[in-house]
Amino acid sequence: MLFVVRALAIVILGCGLGLAWNSASGRGLALSQNVFVKPGDELVDAAAAKTRLDKGALFLDARPIDFYEMSHVPGALPLPEEHFEKAFAAIEPRLRGSFDVIVYCAGYGCEASHIVSRKLKQRGVPAAILHEGWPAWTEAGYPVREGKQP
Amino acid sequence: MGLALGAVFVYASLDKIAKPLDFARILYHYQVIGPSATLPPLLPNLVAVTLPWVELVAGVMLIVGVLRREAAAVTGILLVVFLAAVGSALYRGIDIENCGCFVVSGEGRRAGLHLILSDVALLAAAAFLVRARPLTSTGPDA
Repeated sequence: MLFVVRALAIVILGCGLGLAWNSASGRGLALSQNVFVKPGDELVDAAAAKTRLDKGALFLDARPIDFYEMSHVPGALPLPEEHFEKAFAAIEPRLRGSFDVIVYCAGYGCEASHIVSRKLKQRGVPAAILHEGWPAWTEAGYPVREGKQP
Repeated sequence: MGLALGAVFVYASLDKIAKPLDFARILYHYQVIGPSATLPPLLPNLVAVTLPWVELVAGVMLIVGVLRREAAAVTGILLVVFLAAVGSALYRGIDIENCGCFVVSGEGRRAGLHLILSDVALLAAAAFLVRARPLTSTGPDA
């Protein structure tokens, strides 16, 4: 029993030091905030994204190309984060002519849509991010399309 | 052996303590404790700021020989948790490019079989230390 109490004390001491360091170090996390989201990111939920799709928004798929070819938002163009420069060059004219751009990726553990959105913004193309990405879209029952064609 | 295991855990904690945001980002990639539709980012963020310090405290205790068996037990439990997280990610086909084991920004170790084997080896060392006779023993009959 004493062994367990002592082991627990080590864990509690570590947790306490961690929380204290987080609040005192000046570079701690905001505990309730998603670390993928940075100031300036525009997040849209699936319902708002669908409304914007119906009004002509251009969707960009930031997942690896294999995932795009399996299934994607109808009309979406592939812009995989790992091949951003090449993919961006291929679709740049279309992007420059779009008034509303929304990026999505694989969902909760995926940061690609945030990274791609920021890279686009640096190049003068503002782009919103589909909050919770592809799973949110499919779980809402919105249309999807298979294959290489947008 | 306690010195070596402690050194591994102290070293593993340092980059995570320096860069909690990068460590939280890696925890998100595992998709085990959130964030998700049902789990807010609070839990992975809490783990990101506390787990490295538990590693540090347990590692220091192993090195200096204070509460060595208890510290070894804590490292053993952490290793079981790490193995479960890596195994879960691999089972679900999630590609973890940087396991967050030692370095949390840039290039790190990929979560895979090699990582599992090294964690199992460390777990064996932790288990050995838990079962070992305390250092305060004065002889075989103490």
